[in-house]
Amino acid sequence: MQYIKQKDYEYITNKYHDTSKPFDGHTRFIRRDELFAPETGMCPDDIISGIFENDEFYKNLAHPIRKARALEYVLKNTRISCDERDIFPAINMIDRPLSQTLIKHWKKELFSQIIPEVEEVRSRLERNGTVTIWPDYDHSVPVWDRLFTLGFVGILEESEKVRKKRILTEEEDAFFEGIKITYEAILMLIERLEDTATTDKMKKALHTLRKGAPQHFYEALLLSYLYFIVSEHIDNLQVRSLSGFDTSFYKFYQNDIKNGISEEEIKTDLAYYFLQFTAIGNYWNQPVYLGGENADGSTVTNELSYLFLDVYDELNIYNPKIQIKVCESTPKVFLLKALDMIRRGRNSIVFVSDSTIRKALEGVGVSSDKARTCNITGCYEYSPQGSYNTGMNYLNMLKPLEHTLHRGCDGVTGVFSGLESPDLSQYTTFEHLYAEYKRQLLRIIDLTVETANGYEGYLSEINPLSLLSATFPSCLEKAKDAIGGGCSNNDSILQFGFLGDITDSLMMIKKYVYEKKELTLDELVTALDKNFENNELLRRKLLVDREKWCNNKERPDAIAVDLVNFITENLCGRPNARDGAWNCGFHVARMSYTQGGLTAASANGRRLGEELSKNISASMGQNREGATAAILSATKIDATTFTCDASLDLGLLPSAVKGEDGLEAMYGLLMTFVKRGGHALHINVFDADTLRDAQAQPEKYQDLQIRVCGWNVLWNNINKEEQDGFIRQAEALV
Amino acid sequence: MTATIFEIKRFAVHDGNGIRTTVFFKGCPLRCVWCHNPEGLSPKPQLAYYEHKCIGCGECQKEIFSVENCFGEARVLYGKEITVDELLPLLLEDKDFYENSGGGVTLSGGECLIQADFCAELLKQLKANGIHTAVDTCGFVSKEALRKVIPYTDIFLYDIKAYDEDIHIKCTGVSNRQILDNIKYLDSIGAKIEIRIPYVPDYNDGQIEKIAHFLAPLQNITKIRVLPYHNYAESKYEALLVPKKLPERVPTDEEIQKATEKIKNITNFVVPS
Repeated sequence: MQYIKQKDYEYITNKYHDTSKPFDGHTRFIRRDELFAPETGMCPDDIISGIFENDEFYKNLAHPIRKARALEYVLKNTRISCDERDIFPAINMIDRPLSQTLIKHWKKELFSQIIPEVEEVRSRLERNGTVTIWPDYDHSVPVWDRLFTLGFVGILEESEKVRKKRILTEEEDAFFEGIKITYEAILMLIERLEDTATTDKMKKALHTLRKGAPQHFYEALLLSYLYFIVSEHIDNLQVRSLSGFDTSFYKFYQNDIKNGISEEEIKTDLAYYFLQFTAIGNYWNQPVYLGGENADGSTVTNELSYLFLDVYDELNIYNPKIQIKVCESTPKVFLLKALDMIRRGRNSIVFVSDSTIRKALEGVGVSSDKARTCNITGCYEYSPQGSYNTGMNYLNMLKPLEHTLHRGCDGVTGVFSGLESPDLSQYTTFEHLYAEYKRQLLRIIDLTVETANGYEGYLSEINPLSLLSATFPSCLEKAKDAIGGGCSNNDSILQFGFLGDITDSLMMIKKYVYEKKELTLDELVTALDKNFENNELLRRKLLVDREKWCNNKERPDAIAVDLVNFITENLCGRPNARDGAWNCGFHVARMSYTQGGLTAASANGRRLGEELSKNISASMGQNREGATAAILSATKIDATTFTCDASLDLGLLPSAVKGEDGLEAMYGLLMTFVKRGGHALHINVFDADTLRDAQAQPEKYQDLQIRVCGWNVLWNNINKEEQDGFIRQAEALV
Repeated sequence: MTATIFEIKRFAVHDGNGIRTTVFFKGCPLRCVWCHNPEGLSPKPQLAYYEHKCIGCGECQKEIFSVENCFGEARVLYGKEITVDELLPLLLEDKDFYENSGGGVTLSGGECLIQADFCAELLKQLKANGIHTAVDTCGFVSKEALRKVIPYTDIFLYDIKAYDEDIHIKCTGVSNRQILDNIKYLDSIGAKIEIRIPYVPDYNDGQIEKIAHFLAPLQNITKIRVLPYHNYAESKYEALLVPKKLPERVPTDEEIQKATEKIKNITNFVVPS
């Protein structure tokens, strides 16, 4: 393997997991205690219990201080290791120790004692698959450029400077004290690592970071890695982007090249850096983005963008995952390079349209320059630098239809969970039924907003974000936590799931019950309740009907667009509990499976419990008119009227994208999607025969990767049911 | 005016430049042994039955020649009468994609120029809408038919199956004199031509050099493509109950590579590998 020695590769990939044992990316356990020498610190169990003992000293103080003291305790005592086979140190992360201790305790206290009624609703909504909500500590991105310019030392100094300038309340002072303890603890960790480092290169870089800001490319990588480990795996706050890499790291790259450091050395350092995230292996994948525009509108793409893809391509990995911001000025050759990687199976790359997200952000008052330089955070989400949007609220759009058709009751459990609604015979027209559906949908939106608002005001109490907040100038100015209203943008996102299935279900009801009158609504609901038992013919009829979403058909597309408009009009702009507003998106994460499993048979021919559609894509296997039609439908949604995901997952056959023609065609698809105002496009290139073979002979396909829903996995790491879903999808490709 | 077509294929990427929509017309004067579109041979609509898809619902018994009530999609009707007015809006749907990829619309088949008047009218309308047009032809058509479409055709995708007449007859059932004559004619009037040579081992693999020598002096060839024979069409033959005589052997990558090299050595044309 170019860039990385085999023995080093083996060491790093086993640094966090034992690769000889089965790996489940869904569990968050990423520790190999046995790798760390006992003399370098305490054992994990002692640290966990020690956190509570340590907290005894501080328990009368504010949460930011108590959490920072706990972090300090962990960073001081956890075992560490530096190895000559790696240029990044290993830190025993003990699987989010603060999450297991203080945060868990505070969260329990909040939900059981302070707002038990909110928790009751939240848990009921989740149990029946209607809405899944959880406190979102999963979408932070520090202001990387401040970290790179100031270093940990400079961030601490800046914070202290602001602190001393003003007269502070006790609460405000606790905010700054939390930052001070946190950053001093990081510097102390760096000193411990420096003492342990076995190579001059690492020792010198750690020394630089302990004293000030990074100067070289490798030092910036090291800072980024340390921040990530401390934040994501110790402080309990996911780092949802390693930055716009070709923006943030470019000055270091240029500086190194000017000082005679070879491009090969830079590539090697980058390869070792990438591999850390591959080895950690979080199933949601570690995002990092490229491209887009600078604040002045010039293109970002530079030599480093290409170098980045070269190294990534060579390693044949899918984690970190990459987003590419596409704008008119993005060089075609760069996009062709990425598209070529995708068709060769390196498909952990998603394209995000710069102009769409810019317009959407400008629509909510963000200035053009800030909109241009916004972060891509997580899967496809985006937000201006220095903001914290929460978004772990997933609404199942099929449930309000179940309520509509069952007098307010859930279609699976029969439990009353919507609004009282009329008897089926009262729906004399489709319009009447559709209006009732919207009423039920609105009720769930209200309930979700009410529930999330009920606890979101406490987020900074459950998990104060000192590490992150210090990088946000607005937080320092306001002396407020990033998740407690300290940012300039503090939005909350409600994700609406299964646009494909709900659109198709409504369309089929309209067509077969009200227009063709092939059966009564009562008969249809009975068939759905019986999961199409003894009624396979009806199911097939509904399934093969091509008047469905994502095929550029006027009528279903009009329903989908109307639903999106209804949602934006009724949700966007409502106040949340963090001095921000509500907005919406259409990302479903794993809800296709989890909520799908709790959703009744639907009028588009889907059986009880089957997988639901992803993002704004077609229902399973229903993109019958091919890629261009899917794009035409998807771009009828005005993705500039809301500020979150509207991602289209596109399947293409390998035969369609082969050769120069095929690559140009992929480019044509992408640019049409972008020019028509699409938001995010992800392309899976696969065919059913290959996937079937991969299912039968997994050993032959060890490196086959597949996009699930915003992240990639190895084919061999998903279960048979999920594999079957992809095979069905591939079978329908034209 | 109507035509009989059997498919409208969107996102066609190997029928000319860019992203295209290809219209497949029914009826073909050739009977190539390797034909991968057997549903395009007869000029009349044909009902096909894909047995493996049948769900046994019995609905088809109610109306025996309908495909509408086949809910397993086992029955497929190849062949549909359509007017220019009906077809045009379908072809304009993907206009944005044509523009962003340098693509357009391709008329193919079967042999589309059997229905030359319709093609001419359709192409005229497409040009009026600013669409790039391609005509995929076997060349076994009258000059008159060609002349009808020339004014509205940006490029001809022109198949040559063999240079030697006896080989051509063996492979396709007809002589190639008119075909070779028509290429010269199109070339002489300055029409742009992309040549496509299906490469079928044991049938026309010995013809590559002769074809290349024939093409070498021509002026308006944009590209010569060697298309490797594949046998994916077997299930269509079975579904149509058309007797199958498909060659068994598909070419290796090396064979195709060699063939393209030969053409490159003899001509100055672009020969994509």
